[in-house]
Amino acid sequence: MAEEITIALAGNPNSGKTTVFNNLTGTHQHVGNWPGVTVERKEGVCRYGDHRIKVVDLPGVYSLTAYSLDELIARDFIVEERPDVVVDIVDASNLERNLYLTVQILEMGARLIVALNMMDEADERGYRIDIEHLSYHLGAPVVPMVANRNRGTEELLGEIVKLAEIERTECLRINYGREVEEEIAKLERLISQSALSQKYSPRWLAVKLLEEDEEIIKKFKGAGVG
Amino acid sequence: MDSAEILRAKDQSLEHLRGIYGDEAETIIADRRYGFISGVLKDVMKRPAIERLTWSDRIDRVIVNRWLGIPLFLAIMYAMFQFTFTLSAPLMDWIGAGFDFIAARAVGISPDWLGSLIGDGIIGGVGTVLTFIPPIFLLFIAIAILEDSGYMARAAFVMDRLMHKVGLHGRSFIPMVLGFGCNIPAIMATRTIEDPKDRLITILINPLMSCGARLPIYILLAAAFFPAHRGLVVFSMYLIGIILAILMALIFRKWLLPGPIGHFVMELPPYRLPTITGVLVHMWERGEMFLIKAGTIIAGVVVFIWFLSSMPWGVEYASANSWIGQLGRLIAPIFGPCGFGQWQAAVSLFFGFLAKETVVGTMGAIFAVKEGSLGTAIASQLSWTPLVAYAFMVFALLYTPCVAAVATIKAETNSWKWPAFTVGYELALAWVMATLIYQIGRLFVG
Repeated sequence: MAEEITIALAGNPNSGKTTVFNNLTGTHQHVGNWPGVTVERKEGVCRYGDHRIKVVDLPGVYSLTAYSLDELIARDFIVEERPDVVVDIVDASNLERNLYLTVQILEMGARLIVALNMMDEADERGYRIDIEHLSYHLGAPVVPMVANRNRGTEELLGEIVKLAEIERTECLRINYGREVEEEIAKLERLISQSALSQKYSPRWLAVKLLEEDEEIIKKFKGAGVG
Repeated sequence: MDSAEILRAKDQSLEHLRGIYGDEAETIIADRRYGFISGVLKDVMKRPAIERLTWSDRIDRVIVNRWLGIPLFLAIMYAMFQFTFTLSAPLMDWIGAGFDFIAARAVGISPDWLGSLIGDGIIGGVGTVLTFIPPIFLLFIAIAILEDSGYMARAAFVMDRLMHKVGLHGRSFIPMVLGFGCNIPAIMATRTIEDPKDRLITILINPLMSCGARLPIYILLAAAFFPAHRGLVVFSMYLIGIILAILMALIFRKWLLPGPIGHFVMELPPYRLPTITGVLVHMWERGEMFLIKAGTIIAGVVVFIWFLSSMPWGVEYASANSWIGQLGRLIAPIFGPCGFGQWQAAVSLFFGFLAKETVVGTMGAIFAVKEGSLGTAIASQLSWTPLVAYAFMVFALLYTPCVAAVATIKAETNSWKWPAFTVGYELALAWVMATLIYQIGRLFVG
């Protein structure tokens, strides 16, 4: 029995996202545009066991604010289209910067797999990464990979299929410090009574409001009385 | 719950937090996220006591060196063009010979007009454009290697200092380098630039970067007029493009779109050995469009030009009295001061607006060379000197972006104002530069 799974590939520029995309989809690719804008949208299909996996390549971004078009597109796809799984390609030799995006996706409550790419380069630098422990802290599976030698693709597919079948997991909660948390809690209470909370996590909305995210503020303005 | 109330509560919260931290909540939230990450990493990752200097870091000591950076960038570009020409010359001869062979067969086809359509129009026009497949694809291979290896990011880094002087960020240089392939994806690539004014300036100067479609013009004329210095002449076109792009950026920043320079950390991805598949895929992504254009828009334009060259009925093919000759004579006087006031030059530039490859395509169809090369035909029939050829190349480099690029600027800026502005300033710039080169050059070389 064939099942269709939709996954989104997220990741920083230069994290090897395109290589992972090519490894997954081979020649079964389709290039179009994101609705309303001239940003290229790549899609592909891959089969794994009984599963048909639709792979959507999101623009390469460092963060998910509303400041640039690319970031907005990536974020909107994750929140609005809700892919079954988001695969975040992370450059293992540059974890500090790459995980910023990972954390933001996890905070949105997406079902995420961290594809820890370029493990060879991390090794070369002498980094030793405890994969299991990282996975525990993030609350998400972590798959080590060397995409440009096509290593780790099978394991990634295995994790994708496994995760797609699990009920939505708990979001990552970062402690923003007592004062900020108090304000988040206040806003969360108000938001949970509004219509928008049906669609998005109230905590995420509260954090976004405090970040003065223009798109989210627009959503509230547009919602009027809920 | 009233949304307005939520937004009011948000403003109160922000006010409150500002009072405590003396900073925006956004900054505190970002700091906390980084704090979380560095906490996790302390726990799960062991780094060597002394960070090893990877070979990537060692190469960077030279490549992005303050003094060596720009000369190295120029040297690498020069090497890239030499590589392109040396390797492509024999391949171009083979393709040219192939088309000559077919064209010779076409002469016998009856009725005469069909033979002329195939021989003069299609093979003369589209065939000429297709002859340039080898250099274009080789150039795209070279660009792909530079990109995949991580060098392009360094080039942007090296140019950062210079770009700051003209009021732009080094990030703006990446779309400029992409413009060597094609200006359309390059203009789209500007969307990573957050500041709208920075982005607009980067878009406006992008068409000055010489795209692959302009390469046939340079190769054709450089081979005919500067056989001993081909690589250098073509290299100079790219250089003129870059220099004028930077100058225009300075002018736009000063008088048109003043504003502060954004702060960004330029990132230097580690060097990687490009894979053959990767390079070929990237070459194909760029090159595919060239082939599609040759089969569609260029073929269509060439047939149209053949028709204009054959009309009115019974006129000598592509003579001054044919329709295309009449059209050409109408526009040609504009180019008199630039040195190339012949109608053939005028129409090829005119149709080049549809796609820059069409400039040589049009010449190929008009001259319909049966023996010898198109380059020598231009030299003898238009009696051009090397100086005129150079002025023509500069004009072709700088004048209006092609239709597709204009449409892209419209889409990206969401207005007709900026594409119209780009067409206008580039036409003026091209005319002024070509005229200056021709008129000043004439004082020295007669």
